[in-house]
Amino acid sequence: MNLEGSETGNSIRRFAIAIPLIIGILGILFLIDLMLGSVNIPPDALLTILTGGAAKETWTTIFWDWRLPKAITAVFVGGALALSGLLMQTFFRNPLADPFILGISSGASLGVALVMMSAGFCGVGIIFASIGLIGDISISVASILGAFAVLLLILLISSKIQSNITILILGIMVSYISGAIVTILLQFSDEASMHSFTFWTMGSFSGVTWSQLPILVTLLLAGFIMSFFLVKSLNALLLGEQYAESMGMNYNRTRIVIITTTALMAGVVTAFCGPIGFLGIAVPHLCRALFVTADHRILVPGCIIIGGILALCTDIISHVPGTGIVLPLNAITALFGAPVVIWVIVRGTRFGRGITT
Amino acid sequence: MNAISILTCENLTIGYRNQKTVIKEVSKDLNLNLKRGELVCLIGPNGSGKSTLIRTLAGIQPPLHGDVWLRDKKIDDLSSEERAKSFSVVLTTPVQVGYLTAFDIVALGRFPYTNWAGRLTEPDKNIVISALASVGAHDLAQRFIHELSDGERQKVMIARALAQEPELMVLDEPTAYLDLPHKIETMRILKRVAQKNKKSILLSTHDLNLAIRCADQLWIMDRNGTMISGTPEDLVLSGIFGSAFEIDGVSFDAVRGEFTIPVEKRGTFSLIAPESVERIWTSYALERIGYVPADGTVSDIIVTIHKDGQKPVWNLSHPGGEQTCESIRSLVESISVTCFLGDDSH
Repeated sequence: MNLEGSETGNSIRRFAIAIPLIIGILGILFLIDLMLGSVNIPPDALLTILTGGAAKETWTTIFWDWRLPKAITAVFVGGALALSGLLMQTFFRNPLADPFILGISSGASLGVALVMMSAGFCGVGIIFASIGLIGDISISVASILGAFAVLLLILLISSKIQSNITILILGIMVSYISGAIVTILLQFSDEASMHSFTFWTMGSFSGVTWSQLPILVTLLLAGFIMSFFLVKSLNALLLGEQYAESMGMNYNRTRIVIITTTALMAGVVTAFCGPIGFLGIAVPHLCRALFVTADHRILVPGCIIIGGILALCTDIISHVPGTGIVLPLNAITALFGAPVVIWVIVRGTRFGRGITT
Repeated sequence: MNAISILTCENLTIGYRNQKTVIKEVSKDLNLNLKRGELVCLIGPNGSGKSTLIRTLAGIQPPLHGDVWLRDKKIDDLSSEERAKSFSVVLTTPVQVGYLTAFDIVALGRFPYTNWAGRLTEPDKNIVISALASVGAHDLAQRFIHELSDGERQKVMIARALAQEPELMVLDEPTAYLDLPHKIETMRILKRVAQKNKKSILLSTHDLNLAIRCADQLWIMDRNGTMISGTPEDLVLSGIFGSAFEIDGVSFDAVRGEFTIPVEKRGTFSLIAPESVERIWTSYALERIGYVPADGTVSDIIVTIHKDGQKPVWNLSHPGGEQTCESIRSLVESISVTCFLGDDSH
């Protein structure tokens, strides 16, 4: 038997080799994201700023107040979106599941809209920054609660209905309903909060300030850590609920943890950066194809890193370098994410269900 | 040689309970016993409650009355991990998963034994490899599950169940959607696993012929939910096996051990030939077109088989004359032309 050395899957060994490489790419893109934008900061100036030296004042300000929090946000948000997409795809055993499509992001939007509009009514303030720390937390909580509510609803439906397609359609319907409520809310709000909400729906990594960043990073890191503890159960779930239970997995507990983790990550991201689509659905598929495995011991870290890489890429593209133009982030993710989804569907039919979770 | 009982149940009633009031009994007063190293086939017509029984025995569904015992413990008292270490399942629905190798799938069977991250230790890996080898699938280890044929995938799923190191393996229709040679191969693998690895195996199947030939014990469930258990041969001889499955026009041939396809009787035949394969298949052909053995009385046709060197030659004699045929096809055609058409023209 010539299995020695190869048996645990070449995939893990391949991943161990790939890890420094993809982390390297992440680092390089992180630096590029710091340099490029409406004003380009040359590499030597970047070095001076980083080492605390004296550079052009505008550059220093842009770097510290603008670029660095934005880049850090992009890395964590990209990872979190990819990871919540992965959790949803495995949990619902549906290659098209992601927090956006299943209406979780819409639920979060509804929560945020409720808080923002009511804040507008009370005259406290409308734009994120002016609400202050309490406002940030209340928006996050509202967003997480909204995400959680939609996920629970979908879960309730999915326990009654077996068909994944039905659940998917119901998720889309839930997004329509929450979208409709948001539209109605907008009708009753003043122009300023309407504008800030519309801006928020386009998605952006730039809205996160230094005071908000620790909250974002802490909550998302918590989500990452919870995901790492889920890998074994997620792998068992690949065979389906019944097999997983027959192997001694506690399905109810796992289900609660998966839902909480997804709602936490998707909710936090939506609260701070708006509903960002396509990263959640596309990155897990890219990772499966890239690492040629469905093993979550590889996919969980893989999605975090690749998600960060793609988020940085979309951020760089959306701040069209050298110009003052800022394109809506959601337009960029859709432009690059949709072809990935198309590829998934086309390949998925050609190789049967080979591409699925 | 008193083998240990792995699975026992006494006066078990299975069925469904809705909102704790409406009770639908599927089968009651079940007394079953499964010994170590024994292969049991659970057979019965569609809708007789096989799946309900399997789910109840596997602890997925609570019994309405009575208990299921695994060795000396009630199944309800076992923790989910203890259960997973006591028995494993192979389900009917094929797993739909991409980008997992056969090795990965079988390795998932180590779930109850591995740490929080599911890391495989050296002994775990060896168990996975030997499980693959036990089902003759060691060469599939690095193949992706979605690239395998149905038969190969079934082997991998059996290996996965084996890697879970249970005492009892429960398989729900493992031979469904396989072609006949693969059905037989799957049964052969399961029989070997039962004997060599000393596992008790309970499987449900619709392949009655295979069940009679392979099982150490048959559990027959009829349409009313009555369960009869016993050695296949005893059940055939007592006629229980046949009566449980016979429907209008389809009857069980206890001599051949198979269900016969009903044909309209056309006449009787006598076959003059030495015991040989040709003799057996010639009589099958004659029965297929509606002739039954004359058994001493005067027959409508007489077929004689001559071995002329290597090739057999069939000599047909009937009231209208005699004919020599070189194949069963031409024999059947001659009979059709001379006897059936001849009758019609009268």
